[in-house]
Amino acid sequence: MEANGTPQSPAGDWRSYERMLLPPIQDLHKLDVYTKHGGYERLRRVLEDDDVAPDDITNEVKASGLTGRGGAGFPTGVKWTFMPEPDDRPRFLGVNGDESEPGTFKDRQVMEYNPHLMFEGILLAGYAMHIDTAYVYTRGEYTDWIALMAEQLENAYEAGYVGEDILGSDFSMDIVLHKGAGAYICGEETSLMESLEGKRGYPRYKPPFPAQKGIFSCPTTINNVETLAHVPLIVQEGGDAYSTIGAEDMPGAALYGMSGHVKQPGVYEYPTGMLLSDLIYDVCGGMARGEDLKAVVPGGSSVPPIRADQIDGLSMNDESLGEVGSRTGTFCPLVLDEETDMVSFTRRVAHFYQDETCGQCTPCREGTGWLENILARIDEGEGRMRDIDLILELCDNMDGGRTICAFADGAVGPIRAAVKRFRDEFEAKCEASVYPVSTDVSAGPDSAVAATE
Amino acid sequence: MSSFDIQRPIVELPDQNPDPEFSDEELVWTDAEEEKIEAWKEQYPEDQAAIMKVLWLAQEKFGYLPPEVIKFCGETLDMSFSQAYGVATFYHQYYKEEKGTYVLDVCTCFSCQVCGGYDILHYLEEKLGVHAGETTDDGLFTVQEAECLGSCGSAPMMEITNGVYVHNLTPEKIDDLIESLRAGEVPSFTSMTLPQDEEELGGNRRTDVESTETYQTQPRAEHME
Ligand SMILES: Cc1cc2nc3c(=O)[nH]c(=O)nc-3n(C[C@H](O)[C@H](O)[C@H](O)COP(=O)(O)O)c2cc1C
Ligand code: SF4
Ligand code: FES
Repeated sequence: MEANGTPQSPAGDWRSYERMLLPPIQDLHKLDVYTKHGGYERLRRVLEDDDVAPDDITNEVKASGLTGRGGAGFPTGVKWTFMPEPDDRPRFLGVNGDESEPGTFKDRQVMEYNPHLMFEGILLAGYAMHIDTAYVYTRGEYTDWIALMAEQLENAYEAGYVGEDILGSDFSMDIVLHKGAGAYICGEETSLMESLEGKRGYPRYKPPFPAQKGIFSCPTTINNVETLAHVPLIVQEGGDAYSTIGAEDMPGAALYGMSGHVKQPGVYEYPTGMLLSDLIYDVCGGMARGEDLKAVVPGGSSVPPIRADQIDGLSMNDESLGEVGSRTGTFCPLVLDEETDMVSFTRRVAHFYQDETCGQCTPCREGTGWLENILARIDEGEGRMRDIDLILELCDNMDGGRTICAFADGAVGPIRAAVKRFRDEFEAKCEASVYPVSTDVSAGPDSAVAATE
Repeated sequence: MSSFDIQRPIVELPDQNPDPEFSDEELVWTDAEEEKIEAWKEQYPEDQAAIMKVLWLAQEKFGYLPPEVIKFCGETLDMSFSQAYGVATFYHQYYKEEKGTYVLDVCTCFSCQVCGGYDILHYLEEKLGVHAGETTDDGLFTVQEAECLGSCGSAPMMEITNGVYVHNLTPEKIDDLIESLRAGEVPSFTSMTLPQDEEELGGNRRTDVESTETYQTQPRAEHME
């Protein structure tokens, strides 16, 4: 471990890590190749062994410490225990393949390169929670990938891995593919349920939580595609062994979707807790344009960006990123170099949220629009110094439980952090209109506001 | 002067009650389509849940979803017009008005923005002589600005008519693409090489489809600046 010169990496000896979610096996997406490499064996063992009860699977997942990979990072095993005792109602699993968080593109690799691992995970989760139907909600843009999955799902049905009396046991489960149609908000779990029911994707109030009243008011669990793909690995390795991989607070393998100004962007599989510096300079070969690093957004547009001078020793787990007020989110870091204009960048982020708000809650519907408007004004050199604090004030009026879902928090977090952490850039852009001729803002924003009034 | 003096550009509202494009005779499902719809209804406890699939089917069949088509889809599943209209208008990908033969969705979001997504969009706008949101006079191309399409590692990128992704765009690639689309050839599905496969699988994880050479970030289209 120490020999690699990264003794402090919670990911441990990541250079000799062997991939599990996307192992280097050609054509693994095909059923015959998958079964040749031990595929569906874990399911078979669970179904054939009378000693393995459904709760045992949940307990293994709990022991593994697996946390959700959809962005919120909630412990998966714990979530599963929220399901009530079986009664005469149907029970559902919602598989979240909406993947619309900007910067995130890792679930797609699972759906394309290892769909059967996901199906096996779905079946094991279904067995653990007495679920009869799983809906795989995939974003509508992934047309080609949905077709690929549909083909493989059909093969799995034919081979008896899915459907009635799976592998001769008395466990039956259906998997249904559901294609979205381009709405970011449908990734939010209650919105996803509404969308599945054939309605507008308006998030619902919680409580009631999905486990009590989910899809068609029946007990439901929503899990991310990648999260479920971990489940067969946990059943195979055992929960305790799995929990030793990667960072302690959110153990396991992780798919890192690297994008932005790095030489080799793309999806990489390593343990959780990779140092950001290792990811950027080692794994991705450094900065693409030879410029210095300016900022990193660790996991999708909803998490606060980090300044370059903060990344020393930071690793991809919530404990570490929490120290600088950020989160792992979807494990998909965006890397920005010195040439990036943080004001235009923040403006574009605001535009995304303005475009995608479902419009149910006033603070979110109106707030996202005003954020974009003010940021646009600053970006175009028409901003006033006091606009900067106006943005922060607006942010304070949008988040913290004022809205039905966490979308507003997701919109506000990164914008507030960007304004605070790169305030000098925002001020520089506001300068011109405050002092049409001169450029001295050293007296600070307060005097600048006074100068206009 | 108040600080709330920002004016949004005025956008022309779409006509909410256009003359019907499709007659009652046209608004029927074939037997094969009905069979599909019946199978979809089986997949859910309530028929209404199949509405998204039915709208997709209708969009494939009619090209877009004017109000009478939405109404027809709703009736298929015993839904009121307002319910079906609410669903159809909630989602970006259902076309409520007629589009060009090829809809070019250029991603300018987040990762694509910082990798030159806007340069690509503007190059395309200039080349085709339309702004984002407009259709060329020959009815061949509609250019649109899209939010993250989930392919940020190969930014900048675009999607063609809710289907094929084209990765790592450059002006040259756009030139080739437009030329081939004009000739009626839509590029085929390409699998994105995972960087780790470069070493271990020779960059070819799937032998049944074409694989892209490698991930390469485009330096922000320097020659266009
Ligand atoms: C606005 C919003 C968008 C979301 N989008 C996604 C998404 O695209 N994919 C996803 O897996 N989870 C998304 N989530 C998180 C889900 O609500 C949910 O927490 C997650 O799917 C649970 O799965 P997990 O525990 O396996 O992560 C989103 C949440 C919010 C608030
Ligand atoms: S917070 Fe925003 S996205 Fe969420 S329900 Fe309210 S308006 Fe809709
Ligand atoms: S930001 Fe363009 S594909 Fe994700």
